[in-house]
Amino acid sequence: MAGTDALKVFLESLGRKSYYEILRVQRDAPAAVIQAAFHDFSLLYHPDRYVGAPSEVAVASEIFKRGVEAYRCLSRGPMRDRYDRALARGKLRIDRSRPSTAPPPPPVRTLETIARTARAKQFAVKAERLISAGKLDDARVQLVSACQCEPDNEELADRLQALYEALALEPG
Amino acid sequence: MGAAVGIDLGTTNTVAAAVSDGVASPLPDGEGRRLLPSVVSFHPSGSVLVGRGALERRLIDGPNTIYSVKRLIGRAWASPEVEQARGKLPFELREGPKGGVVVAARGETYSLPEISAFVLRQAKALAEAALGQPVDRAVITVPANFNDLQRAATKTAGRLAGLEVLRILNEPTAAALAYGPQGKEQERIAVYDLGGGTFDITVLDLSGSVFEVLATAGDTALGGDDVDLLVAERMADDLLKNHRFDARAQPLVFGRLRMLAEDMKRELSTRDEHVVIADDLVPAERGKTVEWRFRMTRPELEWASLALVERTFRVAQQALDAAGVQPKDVDRILLVGGATRMPMVARKVEQFFGRPPMVRINPDEVVALGASIQAALLDRARQRGAAPMEHPRIAETSVVQPLPEDPMSLGEPPIELPIVGVGARPSPGPGPGPAAAPAAAARPAADFLPGGGAKPLVFELGPAPQRVPGAPPPPPRPRLPTMPFPYEAASDPPPPPAPAPAAPRAPSLPPQAAPPPRPAAAAPSASPVPDRAPVAPEPIRPAPRPAPLLIDVTPLSLSVETVGGFGDVLIEANTPVPCDRTRTFATASDDQTSVQVRVAQGELKRFAENTLLGELELTGLTPAPRGQTRVAVTFEIDADGILNVRARDVKTGHETAARMQLVGAPTDAGDLDAMRARQAAHPLALPEAPR
Repeated sequence: MAGTDALKVFLESLGRKSYYEILRVQRDAPAAVIQAAFHDFSLLYHPDRYVGAPSEVAVASEIFKRGVEAYRCLSRGPMRDRYDRALARGKLRIDRSRPSTAPPPPPVRTLETIARTARAKQFAVKAERLISAGKLDDARVQLVSACQCEPDNEELADRLQALYEALALEPG
Repeated sequence: MGAAVGIDLGTTNTVAAAVSDGVASPLPDGEGRRLLPSVVSFHPSGSVLVGRGALERRLIDGPNTIYSVKRLIGRAWASPEVEQARGKLPFELREGPKGGVVVAARGETYSLPEISAFVLRQAKALAEAALGQPVDRAVITVPANFNDLQRAATKTAGRLAGLEVLRILNEPTAAALAYGPQGKEQERIAVYDLGGGTFDITVLDLSGSVFEVLATAGDTALGGDDVDLLVAERMADDLLKNHRFDARAQPLVFGRLRMLAEDMKRELSTRDEHVVIADDLVPAERGKTVEWRFRMTRPELEWASLALVERTFRVAQQALDAAGVQPKDVDRILLVGGATRMPMVARKVEQFFGRPPMVRINPDEVVALGASIQAALLDRARQRGAAPMEHPRIAETSVVQPLPEDPMSLGEPPIELPIVGVGARPSPGPGPGPAAAPAAAARPAADFLPGGGAKPLVFELGPAPQRVPGAPPPPPRPRLPTMPFPYEAASDPPPPPAPAPAAPRAPSLPPQAAPPPRPAAAAPSASPVPDRAPVAPEPIRPAPRPAPLLIDVTPLSLSVETVGGFGDVLIEANTPVPCDRTRTFATASDDQTSVQVRVAQGELKRFAENTLLGELELTGLTPAPRGQTRVAVTFEIDADGILNVRARDVKTGHETAARMQLVGAPTDAGDLDAMRARQAAHPLALPEAPR
C-alpha cells in the first residue's frame, strides 16, 4: 500500500534526524513552539489517525514513538541541554539512563532461581513475595532460612546482604 | 456489523453510552435507568444476576454477591489493598494462580476479570436492547492511575464479555472529551474525578482539536466509598454505645450500615441534616422491635471526611507539579464522579484552584459519554478504512445538560427534587426521608436524592419514562436542552485522518485543519530545519473542527530491577503513549541461555516498593561466554497503557523469545478458554429486556 510505504520511508529517515528535525523546530525554539510542533506531528502521525488500516497503524506507531522521544527530551530544560551537548558531538539520540562507559548491568535473577534445593526455593519464593509486598523484614527471616539450607550458595548470601543494606536504608 | 459503545466500568455503577444520529447519550435499561450497579450475584438456580437485582441480594445472599471488584482487579494477593479487603467483605477472597486473587461463590472460584465480565455482559445486553442492534465493540474506561495489570485485567474482562476492546481509555480524559472545547483555541483543563473507589486528577492542554494530557496522578484506593465507610463506622459506634449491639462483628449487618451510610451521605449533599431510622437492625428485645435512629448534620459529615478530601489535593498538587502548572493557570476545572456531588468537594476545589469548577454534564455519566465519543471516532475511522462509504455521517454531538441544581447552591428546598423511580418499586429500606413528596414523581428534573431508604439509587435527568415494562423504549429520548457537541461539524469535512488508500503520500489532514506542514512522508530526505513560523497558527475560526485527537500518557514509571534492589526507570510517568524504550541485557554467566528480569511500575526509588508487574523471561539465547550474549529488549506502552515487550539478539539481530509472566494474570490461551466456557455456562438473568 502506498500509504504504508511512504510512512516506512519517513520512519527510516527519522534515524538520520535530530530531535529538532523530527519535530521541525528551530534549535532555539521556546517550549510553546515545541509543544505546538508536537501537536502538528501528532495530527499527522498519531496511530489513531490511521485506524482502519492496520499496517499503517503499526508504522505510524513507530513514527509517533520517535516523536514522543524527541518531545520529551526537548520539552524539559536539563534534558534538552544535555541533548544539545550530545548533538554537538554528532549524537542524534541520547539515552538518559545508560552511562555510555559502564558495562551493561548483570541480569537480575530471582531468588527462586538462585536457590538450588527445593527447601531453599520454598523460602526463597516466600522471601520474594514479601519483598514485592514491601515487607522487607519478614522477607529477611525467610531469606535467612533459605541461606541456612544452602550455606555455600554465595549468590543467595549476596542477596541477603543486599536485603540487610536495604533494611538499614529504610526510614525508622 | 454491530455497534460500538463506550462503557464506564465503575466501582459502584457501570454506564454505557453510544453515539447515534450525532448524539452521545447514555443507554438506559428497560426501565429508563442509566446506572447499572456493578454488582454480581450468583443465584442458586445457576443464573447470574447483575445490577439492581444483584444489589438487592447483597442483603439476603451476601456470600454469593460480589461487588467493589474494581478495587481489587489486577492486584496481587499480597498487596495491601487485598489484605485490607479480606475479611471486610461479606464474600470470600482466595489466593489465585500466579499470586492473583479469586472470589469463591457457590462452590466455584472466579477470577476478578470474570466477575467484571458479567457486569460488562449485562451492560452489553442492555445496550443492545436500547440500540436495537448487536454491540460487539467498546471503549472501556479505567481510572487514569491504573497500572498495567489493572488495565490488562480490564481488557480481559471486556474480551470475556464478547467485546472487542477498541481502547482502554482513562476516565478523566474521557470526561474532557465529553466536555469538548469551549470556544477558546487554547485551554488548560484540570479534571477532578472522585468516583466510588478511585480518585484521579488529570491536567490537559487543549489546543484546536488536540487534547494533550500533560500529567495525571491518582489514588486507586480513595473514593466516595471511603466516606461511606467513615459514616458506617460512626453508625456502628452509635449502635454499640446506645444499644450494646456490635455491628462490626457481623459483616452482613455492617454491609447494611454501609448502604445506610451511603444514603446519609447523599441526603446530606442536599440538606443540612438527616436521620436514618431502622427497626430491623438491632435484635428484638422481648419480642419488641427496637427502633434505631441515627442523626447526622452536614457539618458533621464534612468534618469527618475532611481528611479524605484533603488527600485529593495532595495528589492534585503532584499532578500540577508534574505538568509544571500552577493551580491558577488552569482555565477550566471539570468535576467528574458521583462523589463530587458532596458540596464540600466543589467548595474545596474552588479554594484550591481559585475558580469555581464546572459541572455541566452529569458527573455519573460524563465518562461513559466521552468513551462513546472515542468509540465512535475509532470505529468510524475503521469503517471508512474497510468499507469506504456507509454510515460515515456520525456527527459527534453530546448530551450537554446544565444541571438543574448547581452543587454549589444549596438553597433549593429538597421538595423540588422529585424522587424518580421510587414510586414504581417497593421501598426496601427503612424510613425514606420526607423528600419523597407525592407530586414529585411526575416532574422531570435532576434527582440527586436517593430512592427511598437504603437502595436503589436512581438518577434521572431526562423526562421520567413512565412506561409499561416491556413496551418498546422510545429510542432517542427527548432531552432537556441538548447542546450540539462542539465537534459536531466534524462530520462535514472530508474524513479526517486515515489517508485514502490510493493517495500517493500518506498522512494528510483535513484541509482546514492542516497545520502548515510539508507532506513530510513524501519528502523524507534530510532537510534543513525549517523555520517554524506558523503561517496560519490555527485554522479558520468558523470552519468545521476536525475530529479530536487524544494524546494520553502513562500514569506510572516503568522500571526494571537492577543490582542492589534499585529500579532502573525505563519509561517515566506522564510520557505520551504509545511510547517505547529499548534496553540491553547481558548474560552474567557462561553459556547462560535465559535471562530473567523483574518489571515494576511506580514512583518509588526502591524497586520492591513499587508494584511488581511480573517477570520477563528471555529464553533460547545462544550459549556464549558471559557478557557476550546481549539482548535488546524493547518495552512498549501501547495506546491502552498496556506493556508489550519484544527482544532481539544484538549480535544476530534475530528476535528472541520474550515472555512477560504477569502477576495474577492468565497468560495462556487455555486459561482464557476456560474462563470463556464458564461465562457461557452462566446465563445472565436479564430483567425484562425490551423487544
